[in-house]
Amino acid sequence: MAPAERRRFWLGHWRLAVPVASVLVLMLVMLAPLPLGMPAMPPLMVLAVLIWGIFQPGLMAPWLAFALGLVADGLMGQPWGANAVQLALVAVLVRGLEGRFRQRPHRRDWLVAALVLALAMLLEWLLMTLAGRPVPLRPMLWQWLTGVLAYPPLVALFAGLQRWLLGRAAGG
Amino acid sequence: MRRDQNLAILGAVVTGAVVASGLFLLVLGRASPEAGARVRGVMLDMATPVLAVVRAPFDALAGLGQGVAAHFGTVERAARLETALAAAEARLQLAEADRLALAQLRRLERVAVPERQLVATARIVSVVQGGVVRSALVSAGSRQGVTAAMPVIGAEGLVGRTTDVGAGAARVLLLTDSQSRVPVLVARTGQAALVAGDGSPLLLLAERVGPEEPLRRGDRLVTSGEGGVFPPGVPVAVVYDAGPPVRLRPLARLLGAGFVRIEAGWLPDAAVLEMGEVPGEVVP
Repeated sequence: MAPAERRRFWLGHWRLAVPVASVLVLMLVMLAPLPLGMPAMPPLMVLAVLIWGIFQPGLMAPWLAFALGLVADGLMGQPWGANAVQLALVAVLVRGLEGRFRQRPHRRDWLVAALVLALAMLLEWLLMTLAGRPVPLRPMLWQWLTGVLAYPPLVALFAGLQRWLLGRAAGG
Repeated sequence: MRRDQNLAILGAVVTGAVVASGLFLLVLGRASPEAGARVRGVMLDMATPVLAVVRAPFDALAGLGQGVAAHFGTVERAARLETALAAAEARLQLAEADRLALAQLRRLERVAVPERQLVATARIVSVVQGGVVRSALVSAGSRQGVTAAMPVIGAEGLVGRTTDVGAGAARVLLLTDSQSRVPVLVARTGQAALVAGDGSPLLLLAERVGPEEPLRRGDRLVTSGEGGVFPPGVPVAVVYDAGPPVRLRPLARLLGAGFVRIEAGWLPDAAVLEMGEVPGEVVP
């Protein structure tokens, strides 16, 4: 393989990195200093892993979610492994539910997503307790609420992103 | 078909291994919380420049309301004024602390009080506002002399203390985090207590020492200097609901950004003390 050819091969696959890149961008958004009083920042990373797990299960494998979670742990100052295990298990759960998600009306999707999100928050609470840093549950309830509200716009965003990517892939 | 099955099995094994290693990391972190501190520091250093860009639109939004034009010179001047104001407010705080210290000296006669020492003035570049952790990143690190367990003080009052430190960035554990404990005095009654966070915007008052004098709404709480991390006399919170349970409102704006002072730990051996490990006995 000539160097130019090899370069074209790798550059031709940049689309595969888009789900991961979008999760990283959302992580930075979560770190933005918003003037919010309540712990109201939605758990965007969990939602992103959930949605990409539905759209492109191959591009959001559990080990990939785990790696992203480790980055989040480092940036957000949580014990190593807390976000990582949470996101990996969300990816596993979505794989299990994938059959149910497909070809269903959007409202049902939303309900299932709310349930998965609740499970994810509960899991995070358990993991923090396991790490020896128990956290109160009530702020997590707020986060669950904002997360459920943030789900539909995020689905629309990722759906648009995916359409755009597919369009580019078809156009060459 | 056989290949698909093998791939599925391989995937399950990898997933299991990954989750198991994550749980192992968690338990390991419980045994030694300092593990991976270096990695955290490097990650903070990498993220801070990016965050400085990410936060720009939020700054712009905040500035819009105050009529700050997009004019470059104006923004620069505003930033300079803000720095000057922060310094002036900090001097005011110092003056108040001095007044308190003086009153104590008059009572005790000839007590050696350690000096407060400014290490760096930095800007908050990001705030983690999830339900689990309440922390912020500031744009000063070990290059500026910042280490872990240093008090972080805003213009209006105490913000928190540093935890992870990178070369050019540091993490601040905010007052509202459920791990945060700050030894305080009720300014009106002189009663010692701990201010604790629970992840919500309001704070809790814990472990009040001595006779239980009822609190009033609006009572101010200042740091007591107990524990050696936070210098005495820094405003922390006001009583919002005299309870029970007592709820406090932090004086510093913990959300939205501003300039903060990072000071050296008040007592030289402060870093040795574990956070939250505050002696129960407090001499008034």
